[in-house]
Amino acid sequence: MNDLIIESTDRTPAIRFIHQTLRLEIEGESYPEDVAAFYGQVIPTIEQWQRSDVTSLEVSINLIYINSSSMKALYRIFDVLDHGRASGKQVRVQWSYVEDDDVMQELGEDFRDRFPELAVDVKVTD
Amino acid sequence: MSTSGFDLFDREKRLLEEGPSVFEQGSVTQLRDFSERLFERFRGVVRENEDLTKHSDRQERRLVKLNQNLKAQTKELDERKVALETLSRQLAKYLPPQIHEALFAGRYDTEVRTQRKRLTVFFSDIKDFTQTAESLQPETLTEYLNEYFSEMTRIALSFGATIDKYIGDAMMVFFGDPESRGEREDARACLSMALAMQDRLRELHAIWTSRGFQQPFVVRMGINTGYCNVGNFGSSERLSYTIVGGEVNVAARLESNADPGGLLISYETYALVRDLVDVEERQSVRMKGIARDIRTFAVLKRSKNSQDNDTVRLSDPAGVDISIDKSDLSAERKAELAVKLRHLAQQLEC
Repeated sequence: MNDLIIESTDRTPAIRFIHQTLRLEIEGESYPEDVAAFYGQVIPTIEQWQRSDVTSLEVSINLIYINSSSMKALYRIFDVLDHGRASGKQVRVQWSYVEDDDVMQELGEDFRDRFPELAVDVKVTD
Repeated sequence: MSTSGFDLFDREKRLLEEGPSVFEQGSVTQLRDFSERLFERFRGVVRENEDLTKHSDRQERRLVKLNQNLKAQTKELDERKVALETLSRQLAKYLPPQIHEALFAGRYDTEVRTQRKRLTVFFSDIKDFTQTAESLQPETLTEYLNEYFSEMTRIALSFGATIDKYIGDAMMVFFGDPESRGEREDARACLSMALAMQDRLRELHAIWTSRGFQQPFVVRMGINTGYCNVGNFGSSERLSYTIVGGEVNVAARLESNADPGGLLISYETYALVRDLVDVEERQSVRMKGIARDIRTFAVLKRSKNSQDNDTVRLSDPAGVDISIDKSDLSAERKAELAVKLRHLAQQLEC
């Protein structure tokens, strides 16, 4: 499995999937022109992790803005993570939001409620 | 489907594609399995949609809030703009228009800095102002003085003068900074301004006399051309844009030596405007700090040549002051101006 490193742009978040540290980071704003093309780079890598022998993953999500299409992609990522968890992998998700950003806080709480087994920790960015 | 081949709805689409064949040919076991997967995906889609709708509503709420904030900020900015414009208009009355314009365009350097520059300096002063003032009620004096300064200022600005200051009943004006059309043109503009002021003063005399002003203002004027220090004088806290130097004092001295109602110019100015006016040489003046004898010339009238051939003028109390030096204009520019003036005349007649 290769590492995945995507630099952020004005419209897309930085995404880093580092196998050595077993860590996935998603950080920035997400409203790509072609959501499927952008997340099409990411989701197969996570699916690969799900099928692999790797037993754990730390996920850090720190988004400032996310549009509806990106949310669909994020749901897909959470689905894959949850399947990984269901198959015995240890998955921890930290959802960070900027202080006073109610929208991103509530979205994190929605994901926490939808995927209760994933132990999503919603907290203000340090 | 994206260009990458990945499809966010691939799971839903696969089920839709699979459905018809399962319904037509599938066994009960296959139908059960398909129904379970369809149900599971349907539940997932409903959950996603619920959350998407909530998220969309929250985003909308944030947008509305941002829009309200933007409107409030725009309103505040508009109010500040109006306040600034009012302040700017008020400030404009205290500053030379060129400086005011440059300041508000962000082009003006407010450092304490001066430069030596050859300028044409104009002074005017009302003869026997103190006695005249004593013979009038203060309110009446204020009215005539304001009218006098308003008229003279309007003329000065129309010729592109930089109004340095009003000193009691005196006016100090110069040409050549911050904008200059060249030493010769600056001197000629200054002279033309002074002559236009004299023309207007003659008209004002008639108006004032008819209103009961028995001894209307008689104004002396002086013009000199020479090197002065021009720029921002003072401290970094309080600046004054002005000119200083011996040549400025020469202009003031010429004004005090002028005939009542007359205009006295130095040789340095005369050399630049000699074709515009008829003059009479007067006694030279010696001044402290000025090495040369200052030759002086009383301006008698516009030269015939200048009046007949070179300059077209129209001056009217309705606010018209036109002075066009034809010698500087090409045939095309003359025709262009004539069209504009004809258009103006047509507008006036409507």
